[in-house]
Amino acid sequence: MESWHGHLLKERVDQSSLLIQGNRACVLGALDAGVRFYAGYPITPSSEIMEAMAVELPRIGGVFVQMEDEIASICACIGASLTGEVAMTATSGPGFSLMQEALGYAIMVQAPLVVVDVMRSGPSTGRPTAPSQADVMQARWGTHGDHPAIVLAASNVADMYRLTMAAVRFALRFRTPVTLLADQVVGQMRESFSEELLGRYRLTSGDFDFTPGYLHPDLAREVHLPHVLGSGEYPHVTGLFHDETGFPTNDPEKTDKFLRELYNKVAHHRDELCLYDVKNEGRGRVCIVAYGSCARSARAAWRLADQEGLSVEVLHLYTLFPLPVEIVQKVARRVEFMIIPELNLGQYAHEVRKMAEQWTTVIGIGKTDGTLITPREILDRIAELVGKYESV
Amino acid sequence: MALEIEQFLRTDRLPHIWCPGCGLGIITGAFLRAILDLGLTRENTVVVSGIGCSSRAAGYLNLNTVHTIHGRALPVATGIKMARPDFTVIVLTGDGDGAAIGGNHLIHSCRRNIDLTCILFNNQIYGMTGGQFSPTMDPGGNATTAPYGQLEPSFDLCRLAEAAGATFVARGTAAGVRQIEKIIKQGVQHPGFAFIEAVVPCPTEYGRRNKPAKAVDMLEEERKRSISVSKAAKLSPEELEGKIVTGVLFQDVERREFQSTYAETVARVKDAELARRLAEGAGE
Repeated sequence: MESWHGHLLKERVDQSSLLIQGNRACVLGALDAGVRFYAGYPITPSSEIMEAMAVELPRIGGVFVQMEDEIASICACIGASLTGEVAMTATSGPGFSLMQEALGYAIMVQAPLVVVDVMRSGPSTGRPTAPSQADVMQARWGTHGDHPAIVLAASNVADMYRLTMAAVRFALRFRTPVTLLADQVVGQMRESFSEELLGRYRLTSGDFDFTPGYLHPDLAREVHLPHVLGSGEYPHVTGLFHDETGFPTNDPEKTDKFLRELYNKVAHHRDELCLYDVKNEGRGRVCIVAYGSCARSARAAWRLADQEGLSVEVLHLYTLFPLPVEIVQKVARRVEFMIIPELNLGQYAHEVRKMAEQWTTVIGIGKTDGTLITPREILDRIAELVGKYESV
Repeated sequence: MALEIEQFLRTDRLPHIWCPGCGLGIITGAFLRAILDLGLTRENTVVVSGIGCSSRAAGYLNLNTVHTIHGRALPVATGIKMARPDFTVIVLTGDGDGAAIGGNHLIHSCRRNIDLTCILFNNQIYGMTGGQFSPTMDPGGNATTAPYGQLEPSFDLCRLAEAAGATFVARGTAAGVRQIEKIIKQGVQHPGFAFIEAVVPCPTEYGRRNKPAKAVDMLEEERKRSISVSKAAKLSPEELEGKIVTGVLFQDVERREFQSTYAETVARVKDAELARRLAEGAGE
């Protein structure tokens, strides 16, 4: 715990654990993962990340800049990233929308950085202090053109810590921006948090170590990577299609090759990138597939169901993109129903349906009133389904 | 000198894309002579550009070059400068890139007074997209999107930069090559945000629809309309109507520069942190 930073420890309850806010746990994770550059613009419900960075980064010699808007924020992060810094920014839906063009540039020039989107409810200004999971498809397809995306989703305070670390690691290893999705509840609630608790949330897949990130050895061969500014290689960095020299090209063969390589460097490493956790493996007819704050409800629903003599499986996804095709299809083969509770009108249920519908019935529970989905709501839907089919 | 300049050029990327008669190459040449004269090392010099004809200059320079997205060269440059204060960071932008889509970043970079040099090539028109008016086009000018004449007033970018807090503001033209070369040298050396407006002719897209039409005539017109700051000081606003005032219009070396102020703050905060830890250690 020595590495944890002074000001943030005000909330320490004893030597071994903290009562800490999700947004602040995100900052701890970022600093522990080596983030030393933050540029941002305030927006509810993510501002605590920026505020904590403003306090902590100067103390450790890092850089904090408040920019004039979210576009400038992500652009400053890209600039820092091009010099070899580990850069991060955080925002919410409206700001995330503004960042999309630059996010595509970061993908194109292979600049590693982390964007945390603490989701709020609704399109436009919506409800800034209500949670949602409605930026899932924006995180995947928000910027124009075919492109890869690595999108993680945090479900609790411990996740905010360790998934921020995972995001940094993935960004560096795959030389691409990584989006970490949280929501207003995960970002702003306080939970007790300790190294022991972190251990309790062990993943059943894709375990990663917390050593500082390095470039994935395969990737150096897969895609031409631009050199770091000041490396003595005099690189040219451009968002135009470029060839292995880094300079623009209109050659159909070269542009196609570049795009496919860019896409596949993520798609072909699902085994490493897809983090998930399976509870009650193989013991139910129904599987709840959940992510973010809904995964908390899903885990509670599983325990509640257990008490009521109903066995359900829970597939908790920490990685939404690249799509965790293998695990979803593996579970889909053994259950009759897949239930996807989410705080939107079925954005990820649609993705699960694409992956699983040839083996199972996929049903979404969408909620968009700015409140969380309760375990009871999930359970009632399951009881309804199981009952309905049993009575047939 | 020509041979020496070649070390700064990616000769394998030439010929450039600019049209015959374009002023961008003249200013790029002046820029190269300026940095050669200043003795900047290639390793530590970064050129950041946006999108448009002028921003293509980055690709021809054998330095660390970053061709960013439309309007965003300044914030990318800000990130580079904050991460690597030892770099000399120069932004090449145009009137559309820097004053329209990137206008917000321009005023905030001026206000921040961060040690960047911003050279804005002003040809009053969007050349790359085919001759639409830019926010610096004079009223009455013709463009593909102002077929009945430009209805909007234009920006005076130097006044804008000065008002927003830039501590070095200067203007030069493609017709006054020696002058702009000197201005660029001063701007790069200035410890703070240096804004340099370079007035350049675009015969292809601007000249096609406006008078004078030909490259040489446009340069001649620029030369005739140019007046130095010192001479301009003696003239009334009426007499200055239609003139291009050139030279260093404003300079302030006293105002605090952002990156160094940030570095001082980091040092102060770290000292306080160390003192606190020592005090805590002593108490135990």
